[in-house]
Amino acid sequence: MLLEILTMISKTYIKYISAFLLFAGTLWAQNPIIHDQFTADPTARVFNNKVYLFPSHDIPALASQRQDWFCMEDYHVFSSENLTDWTDHGVILSQENVPWGKPDGYSMWAPDCVFKNGKYYFYYPNAPKEGRGFAIGVAIANRPEGPYTPEKESIKGVGGIDPCVLIDDDGTAYLYWSGMGIRGGQLKENMTELRDSSRIMEGLPDGFKEGPFAFKRDGRYYITFPWVRKEKGTETLAYAMSDSPLGPWQFKGIFMAEHDNKCWTNHHSFLEYKGQWYLFYHRNHYSPGMDKRRSACIEKVSFNADGTIPEVKQTLRGVGVTKATERIEVDRYSDISDGVTIDFNDSTRAFNGWHANLPRKGSYIRYDDVDFSDLSDGYLVCKVKANANTSFTIREGTAKGKVLAKQAITVEGETGPFRRDQRGQWLTLTAPIQNEIVNSKSSNSKCLDLFIVCEDKEMSIDWVQFKNRTTYMKPASGTSQPDEEGFIRRWLLLEPIKQDIPSNTVFTNTWLREAFGKEYFSGQMTSLPKSGQKEKVGNQKLTWRLLDSETYNVRLFRFAEKWGQQTYGSLFWAVTVIDCPEEIRNVRLAAGSNGASMWWLNSEEVLLLEGDRRMVEDDGMSKRLTLRKGRNILRGAVINGPGLADMCVRFLDEKGKAITNYSINDK
Amino acid sequence: MTNNMKKILLLSILNFQLSICLAQVGAPYIHDPSTIAECDGKYYTFGTGGGGLISEDGWSWHSGAERPGGGAAPDVLKIGDRYLVIYGATGGGLGGGHNGRILTMWNKTLDPRSSDFHYSTPIEVASSDGMEDCDAIDPCLLLDPTTGRLWCSYGTYFGSIRLIELDPKTGERVEGNKEMDIAIDCEATNLIWRDGWYYLLGTHGTCCDGVNSTYNIVVGRSRKVEGPYMDNVGRDMLHGGGRMVIAAGDRLCGPGHFGRTIIDEGVEVMSCHFEADLERSGRSVLGIRPLLWRNGWPEAGKQFKEGSYAIVSERRGYSLELAVDFIRMKQERQAFWRINPDEPVKPLPNQTLAEVIGTWPKGNIPVRLSDYMFRPHQHWTVIPVAEGGGFLGGQYCKIVIEGTDRALAATEDLELTATEQFNGADEQLWRIEQLTDGTYRIMPKRIPGQEGLNTTYCLYSSGDSTPTLACYDFGSDNAKWRFVQVVN
Repeated sequence: MLLEILTMISKTYIKYISAFLLFAGTLWAQNPIIHDQFTADPTARVFNNKVYLFPSHDIPALASQRQDWFCMEDYHVFSSENLTDWTDHGVILSQENVPWGKPDGYSMWAPDCVFKNGKYYFYYPNAPKEGRGFAIGVAIANRPEGPYTPEKESIKGVGGIDPCVLIDDDGTAYLYWSGMGIRGGQLKENMTELRDSSRIMEGLPDGFKEGPFAFKRDGRYYITFPWVRKEKGTETLAYAMSDSPLGPWQFKGIFMAEHDNKCWTNHHSFLEYKGQWYLFYHRNHYSPGMDKRRSACIEKVSFNADGTIPEVKQTLRGVGVTKATERIEVDRYSDISDGVTIDFNDSTRAFNGWHANLPRKGSYIRYDDVDFSDLSDGYLVCKVKANANTSFTIREGTAKGKVLAKQAITVEGETGPFRRDQRGQWLTLTAPIQNEIVNSKSSNSKCLDLFIVCEDKEMSIDWVQFKNRTTYMKPASGTSQPDEEGFIRRWLLLEPIKQDIPSNTVFTNTWLREAFGKEYFSGQMTSLPKSGQKEKVGNQKLTWRLLDSETYNVRLFRFAEKWGQQTYGSLFWAVTVIDCPEEIRNVRLAAGSNGASMWWLNSEEVLLLEGDRRMVEDDGMSKRLTLRKGRNILRGAVINGPGLADMCVRFLDEKGKAITNYSINDK
Repeated sequence: MTNNMKKILLLSILNFQLSICLAQVGAPYIHDPSTIAECDGKYYTFGTGGGGLISEDGWSWHSGAERPGGGAAPDVLKIGDRYLVIYGATGGGLGGGHNGRILTMWNKTLDPRSSDFHYSTPIEVASSDGMEDCDAIDPCLLLDPTTGRLWCSYGTYFGSIRLIELDPKTGERVEGNKEMDIAIDCEATNLIWRDGWYYLLGTHGTCCDGVNSTYNIVVGRSRKVEGPYMDNVGRDMLHGGGRMVIAAGDRLCGPGHFGRTIIDEGVEVMSCHFEADLERSGRSVLGIRPLLWRNGWPEAGKQFKEGSYAIVSERRGYSLELAVDFIRMKQERQAFWRINPDEPVKPLPNQTLAEVIGTWPKGNIPVRLSDYMFRPHQHWTVIPVAEGGGFLGGQYCKIVIEGTDRALAATEDLELTATEQFNGADEQLWRIEQLTDGTYRIMPKRIPGQEGLNTTYCLYSSGDSTPTLACYDFGSDNAKWRFVQVVN
């Protein structure tokens, strides 16, 4: 019953978590790897081509518990296929469900999980109901996500913590743990009992040791373990090698030095996944003031030819590729220049993450392995803060490399009733991408190392992201007809003519007649331009473009943004050809525009939309018109000051039904 | 009475069409007022830029409400015993870009003088990056009464109006919620629910141009909160559709930023601002209007205008009158079969007060309901009483027989009388509210002998011919009245 409830809870939790991942939409590649809870003692295993992470679960100490000690009441399991996206499958075992355990022991320390004979065996230490110290139990499941059924009793003859199981190539399983030194013994086929008595692992150095993780690589056995090498020191990660699974061992030294922040423990596992070896370990990233609340991290590991392990450095960048189109948490850097610092976004809510502070012009952050392959027509978005106007660039490859984007951060100096002093406030800002993104190192990869470089005064940065622009219109292709609602989506549009219009209040009938009556280019009212044709208007050289709108309305503002020399304060000329198979009588031109517009059918003025207006479907109607058989030329001019220039145009019949039986600019 | 009021009275005697509409009094200067919230018996509304208005009675408004965070167009909603305030931290392109942020924060009270007055740390629930088709400002809140889910629409002319879901317990964005486009061409939207329909109210037109602002409020409706929101001709608000709720009028122009407040069953008001009040130097002011529902569409009712009216029962169509002798009008009687068609016709004068007042008794006169015959004892002049105070959206009025000071009054035994003189007492002051179906309820400010202001008893038809005071019931025509303007 309890397990059923647990499963139910964990299912609900899965839903919640996957929903969360969808919302955040973030590829968390960086260290630490889990961002909404503590995850200590990470044991990672590959099951069914997926990585499963079995960490222990630190929680803030309950009032009833020692405040300066570990507090751990249950286990979660996480999975990932790329070491970056992690799914939390929820709680797999809680202390109150362990038959032999103290229901309020809060001692569910470092676990392990292995697959044997079609079952998943989860090994975990816990405080027994009777007596002191720790025992080690097994819980068994049919799937790595659980549900796990705990055995009635703990493993006989095993007292201690930090179980680890190695299954040799011949299927023999060995259990290692920490209890008065590091011990090991062979497991029976049932995986829940020791075959013989255990023995101490010989050949390991003096000094405090715990948390054994044993594995086999290229025929060599490794036992790896946290080790305090110095008097009053903290834990390193060290290892020894052997030709047999239970030693004796040859000590080889350390592969990760002590934490540089005095976090006392470390605990780890090794994993080979898709041909690469990784080290999982922990550090108190989210609990800087208290080292008993830890978080799992990953680094890549290599091996020397003789099987020895080069020292692994802790990084914030961690492993994996970050997609350019997702938030790039640059405070999880690969490298920084002198003076760059990292702070919590909210010192009272560590799980809200960090930001980086770049103190001066030239300060930079390097962030490796950003994949731009999903970015086509993009722009930069970033969350930044500054105390004075400044700017930064994103560069490729080096701190002086090609500029991908330059972002101004303007926080003061502008005036107006709604402009507040934005100094010291987090702002989401955008900037265009300046250069085409091509990896200069490798022509077949769009994976770049980015440099975020401060170009002026001090600034802080939380994240950057590259977003694809919406496609509003495409170069015309194929045949075109009115859409289902009769809207004309194919137009020849002239790049916008600059107009000095600070406010649309000027759009009176008289003003508009003068504006639309003026000749801007020759043949304005008579010619049918060709796509690509150029017009000289004042000192602007403008091009006609034949485009198909993606939506019923033609987003002239976005057209101007992409192809124009200005967006606001523009006059747009639009021409299209209506090819009718038959004469159609008694139709009306129905148009909406932002702002004012004038429309001509076969050179006759048919509609004027006056004033400062938004684009509304069927806002204005012409009188009854006849579309003649064959070619009709529909011409329009839309003028706008501030505001999103836009238009929607169709023909309606006497009953208001859309006319759709003609083709548009087909030749 | 101010000189201005005298002038107005004079004008209204000359021509009722000229009588002005009573706007909120005090210093009701605001832009984008949030839906009116009630807290410990006071009314609050927050505006653009920070701060807001407080009113003790819902009629007289003064600055004093406090909201940190600046930015544009907030909204406020009481959820449980806390108030959730939502606001856009930016200015929607005015003096900056379109990178907007919407934040929520809680407060236990809206009274800045309360020791409980403390806003929680604002939490961002939506944003726009400045390039996308949205500017995250002008948020509003709807707690869906059918599901308990909390919705927010936001946005402005820069792109789409968007819908998001918030957690009513935390005020945070619901995990996994993706924003949806539900309209274009709007600013300062609001969502409401009524009778199986969701309504999206948006502000169209041009703001911030004083007496030339064309702001107006339109509406579309949908069976689902996600839309599509269609207008009365079947046009989607994503195509710019919208049915008019309130436009300029009564020397006030540019209504914007709708808010709905339900006072009682069938008694609703809408709040908005007017970009310019021509009576007040063209300043932007708070407006509160009755909210009517016609064929499932919301419409602003008119502010009640002073004037002379017949007060007609919805029950029978009889008119409220003094219980005095019916004085017949004189007429040369002609048998219709003897009429000479060539003889010219002439207008007959109305019966005048002077002709009949001598027949009325002194002292209190009872009132009754009877056939309306446009006689002086049936004509009531309704005049706001400046000293009488107000209520949410209106001002207490005296109701006197036209041309006299004889005033309709509530009595201790929950009946009615007409006293010879208006004396300013609360039982002679009346709260007149237009109901959602266009009729009115009429309530005495106080019942003699009863504690506190009266919010229960209203003018009521106990019989076709018998008015009384009884409990308000929107389901009964006995509680409803019409005001028919007198044409003398």
